[in-house]
Amino acid sequence: MKMSSTITYVRNYLARFLLIVGLLAALASWYFVSPQVDAVANTMNLWNMNIYNFTLFVGLITIVIRYSDGIRKRVKNWPYMAYGLVLIVGWIIMGEYLGLYSDFYQSAYLSTKITLHIAILGQLVFFLVSASYRVVRIRTLRTAVFGLSMMAMVVLNAPWLLGVFPAADKISYWLLNNPSMAGGRALLLTGGIGGVILGIRLLLGLERGALKSTER
Amino acid sequence: MRIPELKRQYIWGIVLIVYLTAVLVPIGAPFPMSDITVEIYNVIGSLKPGQIVVVGGAWDFAFDLESSAAMIPALRQLADRHARIVFAPFAVESVQYQKYVMQASGIAEEQGGTYKYGVDWVQFGYIPGLPAAMVGFLNDVHSAVPADVYGTPDDKIPLMNDFHSWKDIALWICPHWSFDVVVRYATAEHGIPAIYFAQAAAYSGYSPFMMAYPDKVWMTNGFLGGAQYEQLMNTTGLGHAAINAYYILSAVLVVIVILGNVDMISKREKKEEKK
Repeated sequence: MKMSSTITYVRNYLARFLLIVGLLAALASWYFVSPQVDAVANTMNLWNMNIYNFTLFVGLITIVIRYSDGIRKRVKNWPYMAYGLVLIVGWIIMGEYLGLYSDFYQSAYLSTKITLHIAILGQLVFFLVSASYRVVRIRTLRTAVFGLSMMAMVVLNAPWLLGVFPAADKISYWLLNNPSMAGGRALLLTGGIGGVILGIRLLLGLERGALKSTER
Repeated sequence: MRIPELKRQYIWGIVLIVYLTAVLVPIGAPFPMSDITVEIYNVIGSLKPGQIVVVGGAWDFAFDLESSAAMIPALRQLADRHARIVFAPFAVESVQYQKYVMQASGIAEEQGGTYKYGVDWVQFGYIPGLPAAMVGFLNDVHSAVPADVYGTPDDKIPLMNDFHSWKDIALWICPHWSFDVVVRYATAEHGIPAIYFAQAAAYSGYSPFMMAYPDKVWMTNGFLGGAQYEQLMNTTGLGHAAINAYYILSAVLVVIVILGNVDMISKREKKEEKK
């Protein structure tokens, strides 16, 4: 279906206008000391928070639509979808009725989602140790660097080594602050420059796909 | 000599035995004290009565559980100093996490402590929109978060009459993963001192912040840092329990890696013999 010219117009220009106002407000409040500029920036921040809050509902609505459709069509694993839907609705009612800060809600949350999540994280140790046996094998110079770096971080943080060799703490701190951080910063800087370029492309309407803001 | 290959099931069994040993027979593993942990203890210890400390940040409860080893004794220390505490959750689950640490610390009146809700401490509900929410919160708390987790308006909460913006914050404690946001906006922009009870995995990425902001940013390191903080507060808890397991497991990991390499070498030798 072709989009009406009014919607296209709004989509073309309103989105870019909001982006420009939001960005300029944030930048201006950073560079200028002015109560008026701060007030605009604060208002834009509050809008941002409200929109962010709205995305929670977008996720909820999307899941409900997809699961309802899946249940109706009896797709593979539809009983899980039904279970998920019942759980979502039940959880929302419980939260609304009892309050997020009630002891009952807290116990329900800790006993289910949190316990399961912690269990999954705990299981990672089993796989990590098992994988270390198979993967950390020194075959070439490259695997030697990888293996020794990994072992260095394990050993330098181990309490039994720190007890007899307290300088290990300083060595690991140096490793993190220098070789490790150099690579990390390079990635961050690259991402930052990429973000600026993406912003410029968005404002100029050059971006395609999910981020496009024009019909061109 | 041919070394038999360790099946993964055997390795899982070894890890399970280590876990069970640590739980059933706590070995009381010794660990060294860190200068930075002592510094954190002194920073909190130097707070004046009535100063406002924000405990806030974002992300998953399960990840942040590691931070609670230090956060729980630190809350008790805050109560000893009579500092006022504001919990600011910037992720959905952070509300539940903050309730957990507050209950575990036992400082609130409901748990038999002395801290009165609304006067000595306040819990906000989920504040959406990191990092914009952080900026809004620091600039104007009452606009960004008009009510607490119960829906009580800020102007009806006694503590909130003294808390309006970043200017009123004496210290920010982050027991959540999102410490970069705290440093970026609270410390870098407004000079608020910040403490991070870091998860070990996060510590490796965020520790250079201590180099970037000396005397403004401090971090403990995982469960080890938690155990150190517990020791400073003359208590034991999650940190000590975890360090018992880590003490043995970190040694086992080294042995496992050596065995893996011995296995590789023995297989290589066998191949060469066949040739």
